[in-house]
Amino acid sequence: MGTLILSNVARSFGDVVAVRDVSFTVPAGTTFGLLGPNGAGKTTTMRMILGILVPDGGTVTWDGAPVDYEIRRRFGYLPEERGLYGKLRVREQIAYFGRLHGIIPPDDAKRAAAWIERLGLGAYADRPCAELSKGNQQKVQIACAALHGPELLVLDEPFSGLDPVNAETLLELLRGLQRGGATLILSSHQMWQLEDLCESFGVIAGGTVRAGGTLPELRASWPTRIVEVEPVSDALRDVLDATPGAKRLPQGDRPTLAYEVPSDADTAGLLRRLVAAGDVTRFERVEPSLRDIYLRAIGAAA
Amino acid sequence: MNATAVVFHAEFKRRVTSRPYLVATVIGALSVILLALLPKLFGSALGPDANHIILVGDPRLTSVAAKLLAKDFTVAARRTALVGTPDSAYLEAHGRVAAVAVLGRDGERLRVLIYARDPSAFGGAFGRDLAPLQIAFSTGMSVADIQRHAVVAVEVRGVGGRFSNASAANTAKGIAYLFIILLYVAILLNAQAIMASVAEEKTSRIAELLVATIDPAQLLTAKVLASAATGVIQLAVWIAAGGAAGGAIVGIFGESSSSGVPLDLGPIALPPGEILTLVAFFLVGFVQYAVLYAAAASLINRTEDLGAVAGPLVAPVVLGFALAQFGVLAPNSAAVAIFSQIPLLAPFVMFARIAVASVPAWQIVLSLVVNLTVAVALAWLSGKIYRVGLLLYGRPPSFAQVMKILRT
Repeated sequence: MGTLILSNVARSFGDVVAVRDVSFTVPAGTTFGLLGPNGAGKTTTMRMILGILVPDGGTVTWDGAPVDYEIRRRFGYLPEERGLYGKLRVREQIAYFGRLHGIIPPDDAKRAAAWIERLGLGAYADRPCAELSKGNQQKVQIACAALHGPELLVLDEPFSGLDPVNAETLLELLRGLQRGGATLILSSHQMWQLEDLCESFGVIAGGTVRAGGTLPELRASWPTRIVEVEPVSDALRDVLDATPGAKRLPQGDRPTLAYEVPSDADTAGLLRRLVAAGDVTRFERVEPSLRDIYLRAIGAAA
Repeated sequence: MNATAVVFHAEFKRRVTSRPYLVATVIGALSVILLALLPKLFGSALGPDANHIILVGDPRLTSVAAKLLAKDFTVAARRTALVGTPDSAYLEAHGRVAAVAVLGRDGERLRVLIYARDPSAFGGAFGRDLAPLQIAFSTGMSVADIQRHAVVAVEVRGVGGRFSNASAANTAKGIAYLFIILLYVAILLNAQAIMASVAEEKTSRIAELLVATIDPAQLLTAKVLASAATGVIQLAVWIAAGGAAGGAIVGIFGESSSSGVPLDLGPIALPPGEILTLVAFFLVGFVQYAVLYAAAASLINRTEDLGAVAGPLVAPVVLGFALAQFGVLAPNSAAVAIFSQIPLLAPFVMFARIAVASVPAWQIVLSLVVNLTVAVALAWLSGKIYRVGLLLYGRPPSFAQVMKILRT
């Protein structure tokens, strides 16, 4: 198992700069979430990791070596735009991609059968892929990407188009691959799924990494925190207004006073001052969510 | 097993088991058999009508004339006199004959008046066949003596060619025409099959999965080789089908000759070296076209656009096919020799030349080297287009953009 390192990777298409300067490291056996709005450069970055696109600048290494075709055969890939040979039967399709990744017959057929069983595709094993539902086609594609036991599995929007049941099946599948020691890179707009699966993250926008690290690291670098206080009273509001750097947030319908305070603010001292000023039924220092961090990093919201 | 071999095997299997391939192979084989048997079918179905005639005149005259005309015509009936002017109804009523010939003697002259459905079909052969009768009237010699004296022993010996007589040369030309047609169909069908395969992979987005595992150049190579293999098999099946028609291919040309001389097939058998050369030109030509078709297919986004990109590529195939006809007629003329060196055209033209003539070895070697070099260059250039085109979605690139891809 190797470590994937991207150093100052860049790629343009004509005059359009898709990836300006991307660097991150994915240690062996970990799962990395790639976040970013549409057109941020996620897919281009993934394609460069897999060698589908050659970077204009920078390097991509796996276990210290540039990624060549021999290494790439040990990778797996689920592209955002899925594709299957419509006339090929499920069993043949999965085995074919296994062979492309170096699985020699009859092992390809055995592994295909095992994945068909694992994904509950037994009833469709000998049917042409074009006859399957979108969800089942997605399962076939995942089997095609993972049949050979890839050291690195890159999944571009793996949950898109899946219903909740199939999304849960995929989550379980990915957890199984994690337990097996595979390194995963995945992109998704479903933040909770990424938060659940990934150990570290990279937020890309405008072709550069705007934020990166583990969730605690990302939170640590977040400049503010939210403080929520109940009940709503003038006495408590006066204390909060007097706190240096505090900024009142819209209250909305909730019976809560919400303030953004600097991350290094003395929240224990603030609590003491609030208690001294009046009854406090609730005091909470809210950590920023992945969504908050993402939105702030891409500049869409703070 | 390396990835190229995996793709080759999968492509080959997919192609040979595909319905269009099987249908084309079977229809092609049946067509070749039909083509081989056509003269015999025409011979029995149309022959009597086309050659059958009625002779009118003095029975002694028509009796001798019937014998003289037997080589080219079948005399369905002899009459002593004609009532009125024969029309179509008359011809239909008398066994659907093609013509009525009225013979008469005017002193030393033989007079012949022919009423024919197709006037162009009579005259030359008629006059030639009845010439001994005219001479008999003029000289008083017997027809039998004239025929005996009129026989000239003509022997044609081939010079600078592989054929020792006219019959073998004619047969070889016929076979060359047939081979050129087969080559034309095989290249069009199989190169377009590659095109369809690339288009399917691109439009269904499998291409991205494939190029994540295998180098696009390897992918293209595997596809071209698989298609070439299926093309060779298809061609072999068609040729074998023609051969299995009982040597009837030869009959197409042999039986249509007016001489009726039995065919001598011995000298037209190609030596193994030349068969290998023909196969080499087929493969080189196939690769040239296949890589171009694949590159073109990689630029489209919808299978409906296939026709638009395939159109310009059909032009050199058709031109090569047309020029090959000249290659058969004048295999060693300067123009044909030049065309047999030009890439995309050479596979057809040189194919024709080798089949019918002895082509100088240096020309064959030069053409092979030139065309092989161009095939490799086209494969390289097409590989560049293919590599970029496979991941190019949205509006198809302009010609200028394609040129830019090639320069990068």
